Amino acid sequence: MGYPYSHDQEVPIISKYLGDPEARTLEGWKARGGYQALEKALEISPEDVIEIVKDSGLRGRGGAGFPTGLKWSFMPKDKSRPHYLLCNADESEPGTFKDRELIRWVPHLLIEGCLIGAYAIGADHVYIYCRGEFFEATQVLARAVEDAYSAGFIGNNVMGSGKNIDLTVHVGAGAYICGEETGLMNSLEGRRGEPRVKPPFPAAVGAFGMPTTINNVETLCAVPPIVKNGGEWYRQWGTEKSPGTKLFCVSGHVNKPGNYELPLGFPLHKLIYEIAGGIPGDRSLKAVIPGGSSVPILSAQECENCELSYEGVEEAGSMLGCASVIVMDESTDIVHQVMRMAAFYAHESCGQCTPCREGTSWVTQILKRIEDGRGTEEDLTTLIDLTDQMVGTTICVLSDSVAAPVQSSIVKFKDEYVAMVRRGEKLGIT
Amino acid sequence: MAENTTLTIDGDKIAVPAGTTILQAAQSIGKEISHYCYHPGLSSPAMCRLCLVEVEGAPKLLPSCTTQVAQDQVVFTKSEKAQKMRTGVLEFYLANHPLDCPICDQSGECDLQDYVFAEGREHGRGHEPKRVLGRDDFGGDVLFYGDRCVMCTRCVRFMDEMEQNSLLAVVERGDRSVIDTFFESGLEEANWAGNVIDICPVGALVSKDFLHKARAWDLEHTPSICPNCSQGCNIDLHTRDNLVHRIKPRHNSEVNGHWICDYGRGNYEWLNRGDRVEAPMVRTTEQIEITSWNNAIESLAKCLEAKKGDVRAVVSPFWPNEDLFAVVNLLDVLGGGDVVYRSAKTEEELILPGFNGLARRRDLAPNVRGADLIGCSRVGDDYGRGGLEDVINHTGVILVLGDPLEEIPEDLEFKAETIVYLGAYISSVMNAADFILPVTTSIQQEGTFTNHNGRVQRLWPAVDILGAARPAWSVLGELTAILEGGHPSLSKVDQAFQALANRVSEYAGIAYEDLGDRGAQINDTISVMKD
Amino acid sequence: MSKIPFKNDGWSGNTGEYDLTEEQVRGIDFVGERPIGGGHPSVSPSYPYMLEDKNPDASLFEGPYKERFEKILTRYPDKQAALIPALNLAQELRGYISPVTMDEIANLIGLSPAYVRSVSTFYTMYNKQPVGKYLIQVCTNISCNLCGGEDVLDAFLKYTNAELGEISNDGIFTTIEAECLAGCGFPTCVQINSQYFENVTINEVPKIVDYLKSIHEKSSMSQEEEG
Repeated sequence: MGYPYSHDQEVPIISKYLGDPEARTLEGWKARGGYQALEKALEISPEDVIEIVKDSGLRGRGGAGFPTGLKWSFMPKDKSRPHYLLCNADESEPGTFKDRELIRWVPHLLIEGCLIGAYAIGADHVYIYCRGEFFEATQVLARAVEDAYSAGFIGNNVMGSGKNIDLTVHVGAGAYICGEETGLMNSLEGRRGEPRVKPPFPAAVGAFGMPTTINNVETLCAVPPIVKNGGEWYRQWGTEKSPGTKLFCVSGHVNKPGNYELPLGFPLHKLIYEIAGGIPGDRSLKAVIPGGSSVPILSAQECENCELSYEGVEEAGSMLGCASVIVMDESTDIVHQVMRMAAFYAHESCGQCTPCREGTSWVTQILKRIEDGRGTEEDLTTLIDLTDQMVGTTICVLSDSVAAPVQSSIVKFKDEYVAMVRRGEKLGIT
Repeated sequence: MAENTTLTIDGDKIAVPAGTTILQAAQSIGKEISHYCYHPGLSSPAMCRLCLVEVEGAPKLLPSCTTQVAQDQVVFTKSEKAQKMRTGVLEFYLANHPLDCPICDQSGECDLQDYVFAEGREHGRGHEPKRVLGRDDFGGDVLFYGDRCVMCTRCVRFMDEMEQNSLLAVVERGDRSVIDTFFESGLEEANWAGNVIDICPVGALVSKDFLHKARAWDLEHTPSICPNCSQGCNIDLHTRDNLVHRIKPRHNSEVNGHWICDYGRGNYEWLNRGDRVEAPMVRTTEQIEITSWNNAIESLAKCLEAKKGDVRAVVSPFWPNEDLFAVVNLLDVLGGGDVVYRSAKTEEELILPGFNGLARRRDLAPNVRGADLIGCSRVGDDYGRGGLEDVINHTGVILVLGDPLEEIPEDLEFKAETIVYLGAYISSVMNAADFILPVTTSIQQEGTFTNHNGRVQRLWPAVDILGAARPAWSVLGELTAILEGGHPSLSKVDQAFQALANRVSEYAGIAYEDLGDRGAQINDTISVMKD
Repeated sequence: MSKIPFKNDGWSGNTGEYDLTEEQVRGIDFVGERPIGGGHPSVSPSYPYMLEDKNPDASLFEGPYKERFEKILTRYPDKQAALIPALNLAQELRGYISPVTMDEIANLIGLSPAYVRSVSTFYTMYNKQPVGKYLIQVCTNISCNLCGGEDVLDAFLKYTNAELGEISNDGIFTTIEAECLAGCGFPTCVQINSQYFENVTINEVPKIVDYLKSIHEKSSMSQEEEG
């Protein structure tokens, strides 16, 4: 059930107990079927757990959509060195607010997912890297972890299985880039959260130099129901390439913003107008960012027939990302919003790679200048060129993330940019 | 031996050992790929994004500094895609760069200048105000111009990985990132920090000592060996107008890698000493008079002929092997006699933890090991003084090479009948000397030093000879030939070295011309060490 | 965590169709009072709180804080990993990370002070200078921006009578602009010290500011009485 609104078209699998305070407690969670999936997992082999997750077709919910079971299978079988599972709870992609809800409403679901994941990949220790700002949600998680330790779900001899799995709740200190998996590893190790060059990949050399797998909160929350009910069961929802359900974070200009769990492939138009209650004041739709601020903007027209699956959104010209649907109505000043997004990336760039370090701030300055009425049409060409130079040239994809909104908005909403430039020309300030 | 991997770079098929990076493979066939963050002596963070190359089959351009070669790989360093990308990246480098080349010390040896000239855009298109950081004194000899910095972090990695004292770090993030020390404390406690100036690819880290002293293109570079301790670091002497303006490390993986210590780097002014002996002089009855080389050598030969077996010598470990050997050889011809040397020694070595075997050694002279091997004995204290009682009391002939005997009080009477000073610098010993013969210093002549570890390394003349000075081996060789009854005298330094190699067993089998600019290990008769 | 005694028209708790109390939304009863010593070692790095009362001269670390720091050290394979938790803990106590604090932490963990400076300046949550008793972080990123986040920021600056990033004259408030706080469904999302305030509109701002002032006055009165 979504939070703070629900809708009868939702398929509540991981969100079933959002808004149910009882579900936070260990007893309440057990009464709702909690830790049965872990029990089942411990009875079968780790390889079988991975098989189930592979069968389900679950794809990483952090944005990249990499198949989770496949990722788990990359972990070396050799157990002479410690293995780690990292849970990425450093949620900070603008428009995304699902992980915080999962942590604060169903912490035990996340813990259970972590434990199953750790068992599957042979990890000795799970670190849940929580975003530093999440004080409140993290304390809920901390309490739940303490309860789960006391009850023997975490620690030595998990549920009498003979397996030892430790779990530590770690908090960050404010850096978007720590949501990038290798940036997160550096941060966990007490370094600047700068992404690492790959290869080596985390499954070979990850946190503390050891084989490591990193999964998003929502991904790990989807694991217990999948293990409990089987891969085929999960595939009854979604599409062939995007099986299962997904939390859609709807924000911006809608009457009922919030999280909604829907089968992948759900129509975007329906999400906005039926599930999220439409646009306030019956204003018309101007644009939608379907996957968090790092993906290209879709025009209202492109939204008409867009299906919210990984492949569907790609077909429409953007990316599903973490399914953070930011709705912008006709009153939106696109240039201002794109400038604000660029400023965000300039603020959050770690500064390692030159195209990103210099590019993000340069692009922001140009956009600010355009907004101030001091831009020229030539600036638009420069913006396209500069962002082109920022795609595919850096260690991580943060700089690509600036290119997406900037380029797509200039292509799709050129009139607005041109109007802004002309306004300045009229005022005689360019 | 690692197996070879075959690949194609820009159409050239080559085979390199497995594990080589694309950048190194390209270098091995003379293709330079632009780079800032990569430095062969440090780890590669692949963050400058300048060395990206196109590899067939790879969806993105790959950093050639960290991507290892693969069998049958096809690499394009100059494809349209790669070239366009580099032009783009260079544009970002210039976004906040002050373009103050006319007042920048790096100008002329600046990678940013070179790369932009080669592949940059013709015109900039930045209309935004540039970031201004100003300059910051990092302590020691290091001055930081933040606006010129390209954030390659070589300096940070040098301090982390080589000196292993993380006094430098990247502070802040994104476009606010800047290299800094810990607030007011700087690099004072470092012993190797000057290297960050060398490895800075632009003019962000510059030497205070060298600041605005000379333009890079006006300096001549001569390979040499650092004369300031017995490590024998390979260096380049940068000279202009016959003066040494700075010392820069020269790569030699067997000795010093890419590095030299701050002590050695900063200690060059003495090489420019102007108080030089410029002409041969011989004492007549009361007065010492300038004379010709012929006359000086002939008179000295006569004098020595009469004193066979009664000659003692003091030499300096700042003089090359060939010169020291010529002294020993002369004394042998004259029937033997002690040859002593003195050398200052510090309390401790200053090691560079990140490079095995590199330290500022305790012996603060370049050829102590050479002197020992040739058969000179060490006397005196750790300040390089004293120990000359036997010499002072010697009644025959005293021959001094190099050592100016500076601490000997002027009123101290030598008991010697004849004092021969083969020196480069004016010294109080000259007051008592009967023969003063001007000789060249190690930076004015060819020759070799042998480092603490037994590595024989060559010297080249870096500055002009003043006056009538000649290499000591040449002077003494001529003298010895006369005393030996008309033997042909040595005319070339390789003969002088050969004479040494023939007599000192540790040098057996080493030929001067094989030493090259890398040197050779003594007793390693098989081959000269190659990189 | 404590309950805020006024009804915010836009609490996430009473937004939408869920009939929940604030305690239930925030999990106040469930979490209870967290022990300063850090509770179970597994969650001892899961702090800090941003406290109202900071003591820039507090020691690193004593009593229960030392206990928590020692528990933190047991959770990682090497000591350096304790750097960020230690900085968190230092900020919790002292309110900001000064050069002196960086130096002390460096000694504690065995890193160079410059390195600690490098890491601590990478992360935006570390205050490099003292902040007011209440640090108000207003999200102005896209989702909140679309719904008036910039107006809410201006309102906070106006009602606390302070410049962006500066401490107000009464020493109580510092207001800063925050990047996305992951409360996009509840715009505008505002974080004040440890707590999230959601669905904040310009109408709520005076109420929130007055409320914070009142609890500040109460606490300083009771301190005077004690004194």
